[in-house]
Amino acid sequence: MSDKINGTATTKETSVQSDVVIRVKNLKKYFPIYKGFLIKKHVGDVKAVDDVSFEVRRGETFALVGESGCGKTTTARTMLRLIDPTDGVIEILGTDISRLSREELLPFRRKMQIVFQNPIGSLNPRMTVGQILTEPMLFHKIVKDQQEANERAIELLRMVGMKPYHMDRYPHQFSGGQKQRIAIARALSVNPEILYLDEPTSALDVSVQAQIVNLFLKFQEELGLTYIFISHNLALVRFISHHVAIMYLGRIVEMGEVNEVFDNPIHPYTKALLSASPIPDPAIEKKRSRLILTGNVPSPIARPSGCFFHPRCPFKMDICDKEYPQMKSVSPNHQVACHLVDKREV
Amino acid sequence: MASLLSVRNLSTYFYLEEGVLKAVNDVSFELSENEVLGIVGETGSGKSITVRSIMRLIHYPGKIVSGQIIYRGRGKEEDILKLDEEEMTRIRGKEISMIFQDPLTSLNPLYTIGDQLMETIMQHQDVDRATAWKLAVEMLKKVQIPEPEKRMNSYPFEFSGGMKQRVVIAIALSCNPKVLIADEPTTALDVTIQAQVLELMKELQRELKTGTIFITHDLGVISAMADRVMVMYGGRQMELAPAEDVFHKPMHPYTHMLLKSIPRVDIKQEKLESIPGQPPRMIDVPEVCPFAPRCPRRLDKCSKELPPLEELEPGHYVRCFNPVLGGDKK
Repeated sequence: MSDKINGTATTKETSVQSDVVIRVKNLKKYFPIYKGFLIKKHVGDVKAVDDVSFEVRRGETFALVGESGCGKTTTARTMLRLIDPTDGVIEILGTDISRLSREELLPFRRKMQIVFQNPIGSLNPRMTVGQILTEPMLFHKIVKDQQEANERAIELLRMVGMKPYHMDRYPHQFSGGQKQRIAIARALSVNPEILYLDEPTSALDVSVQAQIVNLFLKFQEELGLTYIFISHNLALVRFISHHVAIMYLGRIVEMGEVNEVFDNPIHPYTKALLSASPIPDPAIEKKRSRLILTGNVPSPIARPSGCFFHPRCPFKMDICDKEYPQMKSVSPNHQVACHLVDKREV
Repeated sequence: MASLLSVRNLSTYFYLEEGVLKAVNDVSFELSENEVLGIVGETGSGKSITVRSIMRLIHYPGKIVSGQIIYRGRGKEEDILKLDEEEMTRIRGKEISMIFQDPLTSLNPLYTIGDQLMETIMQHQDVDRATAWKLAVEMLKKVQIPEPEKRMNSYPFEFSGGMKQRVVIAIALSCNPKVLIADEPTTALDVTIQAQVLELMKELQRELKTGTIFITHDLGVISAMADRVMVMYGGRQMELAPAEDVFHKPMHPYTHMLLKSIPRVDIKQEKLESIPGQPPRMIDVPEVCPFAPRCPRRLDKCSKELPPLEELEPGHYVRCFNPVLGGDKK
């Protein structure tokens, strides 16, 4: 069944198992701020993504985590070239796509698909499910005619746990969870290799969330998909992903294998995020000692000097407001940008 | 000792073109002084309508069709549903206060924080402007807003989301209410800010001993806050028990499955067990268990009649013909 739907991905997966499919190097995205009405003056930048680098291997889930405004969604959108990067390299399947033209990007658009947070906004209300699913296939010429497209669309609906007779219905006739299934089927319709999942379950009810998460896991196993998973829900990140990068004000502060980072967090911000995530067990929850941060995330226009986290950091040292810490490895699978690392070694 | 608030057989229906939507269906519970009752449920389970009914904030096409809400905070038994509108304004904000999910919409953008705090204080307490100002500053200090005197003259847009929610909490607690209703107070906030606000609410609750009804869909948040938990589904209460019992030995199949379907941040899990099917449609539903279509422990009679809410263990109420007994989750 999966062969028919995603022939290319399965054959490739057998030949190369753990190669790097995404390599992001020194990625930057600045949004300029202008002042003045007729004569606009460039007065500064919002550094939404600032010098972000990471690699993702085939068949893996890489999570970008952080609070609102940390740059996780901008990073993903820049990688998709939905917005153009200011600087840096975005290597997808061996090709740097950061400077490609619209035409040159087309084959990569097919290989990278996205599932958005809100399924109501991402499905056209005037199109039937059949039209929603067949349009991308016809556009990318994956099928030769409408009939073949319909057959594949029905197959896709089955894969996401829906019925063939849903083809003629409109999005508003479905519940939130079902809409998200349709959005997933559409993303899979063009045989992608990389899926960007931008908070794909946060609009859904708890009892439906697990259904959708399990669907993602099933497709990853069957089709060898690579996921970029964007979320603020750390419990879900731990369950679904292999590697995780914690972002704060446009930069990655800690990155590594998910269990290593979550069981042994080093950056105080990671520690605070983990201790702020409630655990569904009153016996544990009521005894937990928390690391509660004071204050808010500073404005990305006027970021603090040195380490951006120092005004909120409970372990602040003299060096912290002077120098931005370098990213350092604490183990082969775990990197941190924090001055505390040097102190640990002494 | 009698409890502070008793809700008895409360039903609130919405009369829509498509039919009757039974948003809250025969719900009963008690709230004591200094107790935090958590209500969990998914979208449309009726948790918000339950508390809005207590505040009598139900408008056309909705209607509270039956039940009693007995309030004992003023030294006598009063049925809130029988009070006139004038008496009700004396209860709202003074005796029973409410915090809503979105601090953006619950503050008026055209008035300063100070105006909004003082309005509530002067409405319910017999004080002049100068005293009200002092009380308002005192409240802002209590919710840990830095430079409270200066902030009194700020407008809501000058505050961050977490700070706005602190102001809303200050307004809600300004007249020292006996009952506080918090409807998803931290859902719109980031996790680190959520942790700050929850910590503040816990501290204030302990200090003021307010009876609190805390609504959320987040089982993690509820385990941090609640003494007792009520689980709602399809407008009905499915389980009501001390928090630890709900999480460690859930008896209703819905609660049981829900707990297995949520990811946890503190441990590595192999799999999440999902609940098959979709949340129930709510219009013109038959008088049977709303969870029956999705329930793996369904018996024949589940789709014929409604199970009663029974006390299976002391303080542990369950509405199910085939409850999960003796099954420890851990």
